[in-house]
Formats: sequence, C-alpha cells, structure tokens
Amino acid sequence: MSDKKLVLVVDDDPDLVEAICMKLESENFRTAKAYDGVQAWERIKEERPDLVILDVMMPNKNGYVVCDEIKNDPQYKDITVVLLTAVGEAVTSTSYTHMDGKTALADEFIPKPIDLDNLMEIVKDYTS
Amino acid sequence: MVDKAESELLHKARVLVVDDEKRIRDGCHRMLTQEGFDVAVAETGDIGLKMIEKEHFDIILLDLMMPGMPGMEVLPYVKSHHPDTVVVVITGYATLEHAIEAMKNGAFDFISKPFSPQDLREVVDKAIKYIRTLQDIATEKSRMRVLINHLADGVMATDAQKNVALANPAFLKMIGFKGKEAIGLSLTEVVQNERLNEIIDQALAMPSDQFTEIIEEFEHGELGDDKEAVLAARCIPFRDRLNRTLGTVTVLHDITALKKMDQLKSDFVSMVAHELKSPMNSVMALIKVLRDGLAGKLNEKQQDILGRISERVKALSELSADLLDLAKIESGLITQEKEKLELGEILEAMVDFHRAKARDKGIELVLAPMPQLPPVLGNRHNIEEVISNLVSNAIKYTCQGGRVEISSGVEGRYVRISVKDTGIGISKKDQARIFDRFYRVKDDNTRSIPGTGLGLSIVKSILEAHNGMITVESEPGQGSTFHVYIPIINS
Repeated sequence: MSDKKLVLVVDDDPDLVEAICMKLESENFRTAKAYDGVQAWERIKEERPDLVILDVMMPNKNGYVVCDEIKNDPQYKDITVVLLTAVGEAVTSTSYTHMDGKTALADEFIPKPIDLDNLMEIVKDYTS
Repeated sequence: MVDKAESELLHKARVLVVDDEKRIRDGCHRMLTQEGFDVAVAETGDIGLKMIEKEHFDIILLDLMMPGMPGMEVLPYVKSHHPDTVVVVITGYATLEHAIEAMKNGAFDFISKPFSPQDLREVVDKAIKYIRTLQDIATEKSRMRVLINHLADGVMATDAQKNVALANPAFLKMIGFKGKEAIGLSLTEVVQNERLNEIIDQALAMPSDQFTEIIEEFEHGELGDDKEAVLAARCIPFRDRLNRTLGTVTVLHDITALKKMDQLKSDFVSMVAHELKSPMNSVMALIKVLRDGLAGKLNEKQQDILGRISERVKALSELSADLLDLAKIESGLITQEKEKLELGEILEAMVDFHRAKARDKGIELVLAPMPQLPPVLGNRHNIEEVISNLVSNAIKYTCQGGRVEISSGVEGRYVRISVKDTGIGISKKDQARIFDRFYRVKDDNTRSIPGTGLGLSIVKSILEAHNGMITVESEPGQGSTFHVYIPIINS
C-alpha cells in the first residue's frame, strides 16, 4: 500500500477538499487534507506528500505564501505544487492581487472552477 | 432704422457734441435726440473737457478745428480717462490729414463737414455697433469669470508659452498655491508637480490632427495639502480656426468620494462574487464525484437529474463572473482615457469581426455605405464594445436567412450608428426595460438563447459615460433597430 503516492489537498472549503480527495482516491492515490496554510505545513511535516494541491485564497497564510515557503525550503522544495487560482482579475483590493500567480513558484496552475478530470491528468503526469 | 437690441442700448447711450458752430450743434442735437439718444452739447474744447471730466459719454462727436482748445488736444484726455468712449471727429473741408492724425490718436471714425443727417446717422450707427460689441465682450468676460470662479472644479488655462492665463480659486486651492496672484506667472512657478507639468507639455505638443484628452489621477497629497484627496486632471489643448495650438485648459475634479464609493462597491461585489462562486464550485465538484460513481453506482434517471443540476449551477457561476466584469467596467469608466476616434474604421473592423458568426448562422451582415463621419471623443475599447455588443445581439436574435444592417450618419451634434435586424423584435413593454441590469425578455423565442441580461446595461453605461445615448425602435416579429448617438468633438 505504501507505494501509493500521497497527495495533500489544501482548501478552506471542506466540500471541495472532500470531492477532490474522493476523486484522487478513486485514482489510487492516498490523500491528506488541510484547510488553511498553517495546517498545510503540519500535514507536510507529519508525512511528506508527493504533491500538494493548494488553493490561493485561504485564511491563515494564503496559497502563494505556502507555495513559496515550500519551494524555498531545501528539504521540501522538490514537492510538486499545483495552485488553484480562483482569484478573479476583478478583485482589485485584496492582498491576493499583489502577487500574480505567475510570479509564484508553483509547478502548475489550475483555474477555478476546477475541471476534476483535468486535475487528475495533471496529478498523474507529475507523480508518474 | 435700428433693431430691437440696438434700441435697448440707445436708451442709455449718451452723446456729446463738441463744436463751435451752433448750426452743427443744433443739427446734431435735433437729429440724435430724434433717434433716441441722450444728447449734450459743448461749444468749445474747454467746456467739452469739463463735461467729460464730470461724466461718461458713450460717443463724442468732436470738431478738430475750434478756437481755444482744438479737438486734437481733447482726444488724448478722452482716450486715457474714458477708454470705452468712442470718439468720432468732425473735420472741416475734408482735411484728410487731420482725420488721419486723429485716427492715429485713437479716434474711432471721422465725418467731414458738411454732412447730411444720413451721414451722421451712419457714422453714429457704426459707433453704436462697435460699442455693443465691446459690451458683449465685456459681458461675456464677466459672465465667464463669475462662472469659472464659482465652479467647484479647478480650472486653469495656459497660453502656448506655458504662462498661466487663468486659474480659478478652486484650482489654486487644490494645488495648494500659496502666492498672491497666479495669472501671468509661468506654469512651473504655479504648479510644482512634475506629472501635471508633463501632461500640459503633452497637450501643447499634440500634433494638430490629434485631439486627445489627457487624463491623470493624483492622490496622496501629490498636488495639494489634502493627503486624502484624489484628483482627476483632464488636460486638452485649445486651438484657433487654423488649428494652431493657442494653449491648454486643465480641469481638476475631486473624485475622492467617488473613489471611496467605488472601492467599497468593488470590494463588496468581489466579496459577494467570491462567496457565491466558491460554494458553487464545490457543489459542482461534489456533483462530479457523484456522477463519476464514486459514491455508489447511479441509475440513469439519477445521472440525468445530476446533469441538470450541474448545468444550473454552472450558469449561476457564470453569472457571478459577469457581475464581477460589470463592476470592473463600471468602476473603470470614471477616469478612462478618451481620444479622437474615427468611427468609420471601428465600424468596418467590428463588422469584419462578426462576419464569420453571421455566415455560420446564415445571416446577411451588411455595412451600409458610410458618409464622411466627423471624429468623436471616446475610449476606443469601450466604443468597440458597444458596437460589438449590438451587432452580436442582432445576430443572436435573428433567425437564419435574416439580415443585419449597420448604418451611420450625422444628426445634429451627434454621430449616429444604427444596427438594424430582421429578428424577433421587442415588445413595447420590454423596450422600456431591456437596458436594465439583468433584465432579459423571457418568451418562447428567447428561452433557448443564453445570456445574462447585462450586455445592454453595459452598453448604456458606456454611452452615458461618453455623454451619448441609445434608443431602440422595434415591433415584435418585425425586427429591431438600435440607434447609438455619440457627440462630435468641438460641437
């Protein structure tokens, strides 16, 4: 069983986390769940995931910050990070717009609303 | 004869006749009194001078050759003490030399003895017309001064050499000017801010075939002392009839409150849209795992129902995206850059753009021959969006084999663009509401046509921001025609 790859899903919406995890498990992945940036780090330290699916807009440390922390950490920088970028271009006044997704160090960007089948393809590509 | 406007002036017009010949004094007095003037006479230059010292005359008829003080000596006094007084000199024996000398010294005209009542009437009429023009200019100046000084917006004009020709109190307050008098100073002495100086330079340097309003925003106390203020500066060159740049006009508009409101609105809409979109995305993802059979196998009916739920949620998600777009567009309209636009080119480009879609649907898309259209002042992207929206609607609501025609023309101060289709038409009741946000005509014809009901409200907002308008003519089943009006530059 331990040869199954571990994917950490981080989003502040438990229902979305649930749906993504169900889909991942059906594709033979093991999953871990976190609902904000701080929890994400707790999970990563408990068990190093092979890939992290990370939402941008989250309380307690947003996705960009977590992504950059992972990518700048010598121990964890090889973990694949897929960012979910739902933040609309129209959000002019939130702190999220100061960091355009493209400047972050993520390996892949998936726009919300998520196409689950597309997400599965990407996860499989990176973990095979 | 004198017209009405002139006669109003005549009641007030005072004429002084200075001549040593009684016959002339009496003649002038009689004739001018009949014409409705208030006439005074003086028989020598000295007496005349004393009367001029005491009161103002609109017109002075002055004999040049008099014993004692000659008229030529009276003239400089009049010009220096009563610059508005019009002096007509009376010369004996048609001595042209004297007349020319008098004109050089500021006389308005001359009349040579002997003259007929008709000659006198003509010369006085001419003088009255001149006075009236001067008064008109003075009235206009005074009206402009009062108007400009009482505007809440800051207004400043420079000449071509960048000297300040006019600056109202609001302008000086907004830029925090501490000096006594700004008029006559060079621009850099009055305006410290580099960016504001630059846009004025740009406006002055603008080639004569270009007419663009330059817009910049200033905040954080960049211009004046108020750190909170957000000011929108609009700068345009003004030109003479030969299109030579004479100077610039800069208008400062305080948009602080507008900006704050805008920010609030934008935050609110973004927040709402995000709060709507997120759950809907989750719902869609959950439906997806259900439909993929990850929570147990579904029967056909269950699959079908979940498919329909999914479609409805997706439509809602798209609506919230449109709502965000609308908020974005509307907040952008306030300070968007406008330039001189040739609508002919834009129309051709837009028709080309939609040609493929029309062809696919079997609709004839026609751009009617265009007259020479005068340029308008507008934001290119916005105006393109207006035309694109109307053409795409026309195609959307017209059946196969139909026709969409775009025509244009000049109507009064506006360029008119009309988009006429042979589509399903709009009832009178719906016509009143189609420009409202989110309003969609709902009947058997439109049920299957997708849309959010925001397109025409965006079009209307854009046109309003351009001081234009949109109207519609339609009969159900007879097609619709939308008319767009955009104001012509310099009208």
